[in-house]
Amino acid sequence: MPDLAIETHGLTKRFRSQVAVDGLDLAVPEGSVFGFLGPNGSGKTTTIRMLLGLVAATAGDARVLGADMPHHVDSVLPRVGALVEGPAFSPYLSGEANLRRFDAADRHAPRGTRSDRVALALERVGLSHAAKKKVGAYSLGMKQRLGLANALLMRRELLVLDEPTNGLDPQGTREVRSLIRSLAEGGTTVFVSSHLLAEVEQVCTHAAVMSVGRLVAHGTIDELRGRGSRVLVRTPDPGRARAVLAALGLPIEQTTVGGIRSATDASDDELVTARLGGEIERHSADGTSADGSSTDHGSADGGSADGGSATAAPESIVTALVNAGVRVRGFEIERASLEQRFVDLTGEGFDVVA
Amino acid sequence: MRARDTGASRRLIRWIPAIAAPIAIGVGVVLVPMQANAAVDLPDLTPAELLEFAASSEVEALSGTIEQRSELGIPDLSGLTGTMGGGSTGGSGDLGQGDGDGGGGDAAASATDLDDLISLATGTHTAKVYLDGSNARLQVLDRLAERNVYLSEEGAWIYDSAEKAATHLTVDQAALDALEAEAQAHADEAREQLEAELGAPLPTPEQVLDEALAKLDQTTDVSVGTDGRVAGREVYELVLEPRDAETLIGEITVAIDGDTGVALAASVTARGADEPAFSVEFTDVSFEAPDASVFAFTPPEGTEVSEHVVPIPTAAELEQRKAQAEAESGGETPRPVVHGDGWSAVVELPAAAVGAAGFDGEAAAMLGSLTERVDGGRILSTSLVTVLITDDGRVLAGAVTADRLLDAAATGR
Amino acid sequence: MSSREVHDGPLVLDARGGGGGTLSLLGSELLTLFRRRRTWALLGALALIPILIAVAVRLSGGPPTGRGPAFLDQITNNGFFVGVTAILVAIPLFLPLTIGVVAGDAIAGEASHGTLRYLLIAPAGRIRLLLVKYLAAAVFCVAAPLTVVVVGTLIGWALFPIGPVTLLSGATVGIGDALLRLLAIAAYVTVSLLGMSAIGLFLSTLTTVPVGAMAATAILAVVSQIMDALPQLEWLHPWLFTHYWLGFGDLMREPVVWDSFADNAVLQAGYLVVFGALAVSRFLTKDVLS
Repeated sequence: MPDLAIETHGLTKRFRSQVAVDGLDLAVPEGSVFGFLGPNGSGKTTTIRMLLGLVAATAGDARVLGADMPHHVDSVLPRVGALVEGPAFSPYLSGEANLRRFDAADRHAPRGTRSDRVALALERVGLSHAAKKKVGAYSLGMKQRLGLANALLMRRELLVLDEPTNGLDPQGTREVRSLIRSLAEGGTTVFVSSHLLAEVEQVCTHAAVMSVGRLVAHGTIDELRGRGSRVLVRTPDPGRARAVLAALGLPIEQTTVGGIRSATDASDDELVTARLGGEIERHSADGTSADGSSTDHGSADGGSADGGSATAAPESIVTALVNAGVRVRGFEIERASLEQRFVDLTGEGFDVVA
Repeated sequence: MRARDTGASRRLIRWIPAIAAPIAIGVGVVLVPMQANAAVDLPDLTPAELLEFAASSEVEALSGTIEQRSELGIPDLSGLTGTMGGGSTGGSGDLGQGDGDGGGGDAAASATDLDDLISLATGTHTAKVYLDGSNARLQVLDRLAERNVYLSEEGAWIYDSAEKAATHLTVDQAALDALEAEAQAHADEAREQLEAELGAPLPTPEQVLDEALAKLDQTTDVSVGTDGRVAGREVYELVLEPRDAETLIGEITVAIDGDTGVALAASVTARGADEPAFSVEFTDVSFEAPDASVFAFTPPEGTEVSEHVVPIPTAAELEQRKAQAEAESGGETPRPVVHGDGWSAVVELPAAAVGAAGFDGEAAAMLGSLTERVDGGRILSTSLVTVLITDDGRVLAGAVTADRLLDAAATGR
Repeated sequence: MSSREVHDGPLVLDARGGGGGTLSLLGSELLTLFRRRRTWALLGALALIPILIAVAVRLSGGPPTGRGPAFLDQITNNGFFVGVTAILVAIPLFLPLTIGVVAGDAIAGEASHGTLRYLLIAPAGRIRLLLVKYLAAAVFCVAAPLTVVVVGTLIGWALFPIGPVTLLSGATVGIGDALLRLLAIAAYVTVSLLGMSAIGLFLSTLTTVPVGAMAATAILAVVSQIMDALPQLEWLHPWLFTHYWLGFGDLMREPVVWDSFADNAVLQAGYLVVFGALAVSRFLTKDVLS
């Protein structure tokens, strides 16, 4: 098992009577790109503040890069770059002066290379041209870029990015994504908090979902997706198909009259859907898919269900259906989009503020 | 799971400096003076020995800081009247350290004088004193102002920075010498006369002291208190306690330097009070001769300089004045009457002595706010002294209660 | 945000060794403070005091008599007194106001900009940051009275004759000696303001609204001076941080009386310790949510 870059046990924060974070157990493997999901107000930022020693936990403990926080703030934080709850700068200073100031605050940052490092960080986020401009005159997107530059002033072992694409245009968003990927390739653990699923889904290897201060899901991206997989059977014999699937222990979801998927299908086909429930472990090298939701054809992608009562492998489901005389005209394993999972888990839309 | 102190207890630990700092300072403030006063043990002396020791003190040079404090229980009006303590440039020509008579009778009591008096009777005053045997300087440190008295063989300078006024007092040295010689002659004559009357030679100084102590003992309990520390020096404490129950004065203490015999502090405490009503003490003293430049004074440019030559009368003139004064007292100017004796004596100034001088409007108003109306007059009461101004213009004063004054005013006893 | 340059360049430089210490942070803090237009506006307002005094006296012609602050009537004779009078005028309100702005802004200002969290995760270290903030306020405490004194001397020199100076004791000293004493007065005022800066720093850790901390600090200075003027509170007077503020007159005596300088320094040190400790405790336990 790889070392953990972030590890919390029972981390809890109570503000007066309100519980912001409730018994959080988080494990972020070293080298991962970790998506930290949750609607606004679910406790993501409070958690990040506790991890960075800005807020004292009411109970539980947190370890970052192997050291207790907030006890070892001084030795841990120089190795961590962070963007917390949006960028913040002194508006009366230039972007460059702001970076120099934060760099001077870090007593481990060598003074001799400060100018070079500031210039490089600005270049990496594409702000070289605005370095001398007062931050007060920056747009939101420019501030966001400057915030990222601040996180990149030194070589970091861990980057904590809270809503890194906030305020960025689509081009900027893409740039951030590629930046995260390249940092991860360099061995940096990246902890990205976001309420934008696409962002997380596209770059992350692991993710956790928070809702109302609690962790509701935690694992690799595929594990998370897998939990929401469904079996789709296209057949003119829906009744028999349902019986077979039910016999295999797969909860039936719905039956749709054919034609929904494709108008060219035979009109008597119906689509029987059942939840796969268990996780589907994928052996494919194609770890990160290119777009949001993907549909894998079971035949092409051997998988095995594990956990839960439904322990049916796709091929055995097909065999069972055929043996039962169901005319299988189409068979799919649909891996739910993370977005679907997110809504399922949090029970909330995207803009809900708890 | 590792054991971990709770957030609450860690928070508490971090408040320790905030709690400890004021406590440490408080303890320091209480302990340091206690430490300073602890363990002072000078060789025991009887009151007589202590007085003799003080009298034989030969200190001529010193410099130090004096703090004078008054808590007489009069409202402080200095802030209200707005005058920052004018000048103590009274016309007194007395060159000696002892304050002779309290102000010449020629000046009417003005508001500034009254204000000065009040400012002296309330609050705290700091002054520096410099002595080197032949020169002396008193430097009264006012806020952003200063009053100075320079004394030397050539005369005296009085400088007031607030008024920008300097007064130069000089004496006719020849006349002074003549007067001294004559006075010496007179004194010798008087002693011979006295010895003749007594039928014995005059007693030695020790005998005088003993006799004076014996006499003092009738009215006052004289004792040596606990040794203490003043201005960082070990001191004896001479305590005078009136036996008379009628007086307001509880005790008078004088601190006498155990090394040099110089009086370093004095205080008067009212009967029943814990804190002195009036105190003067050195907060800092050094017995090394101060630098000569300290005594140098030339009136700065733009200063109003008034020159006074103090007239030195001849012995004959003095006699004449005395006779004149006696003649006058028989006539218009009644002399002060003393009722009772000892600590509870009451001095009565008959109406004519004060009435004519009167007070100007502002002074009268100030007096009005300081005194309170009683049956038969107005009373100014402080913790040590009470003054009664009767409606018929007499003034009675004494270190006694208001009732005693009213009684004296009514009965004439 | 090109991904080309990820594993390269100075980023690879070893982060340890040669790092900027507390001095480096202080330098950066001072640079930030004196790069602000507001700081210069404050100093400019202070510089205006001697200028206004000198111009007013110059225009009104003859020496004013009686009323007005001490030393005012000496200005026409000697421009040296412009600086002294200006300090005297500035002490009760203007200087505390400017110090209140700088000290009250120290932490609360960062919190309101949100930069406090970035300084802390840099990591600046909470005690180190507090120390640097206090030192920066102290440097401003040096700059503020010095501005008054220097501008006062320059304008006094420009508009009035300058010559030997008569001290409170009546002694007269040369202008060189007098200017040294003026510098000592500026130092006295600096010391006087140090305790107040500690109070402002503490108040600044209590809030994220800098104006609140600034106003509270300035108001405390005024309240303290009012209490110092009430004879009923005489027992309290030696403990008030404003008690010795006007004691700089002792530097205008001959010989110089250093008692009030020493007493003042001890008192201010006491305030610094108490409110410094309060600020440290408060800041260490503070949840930074801004």
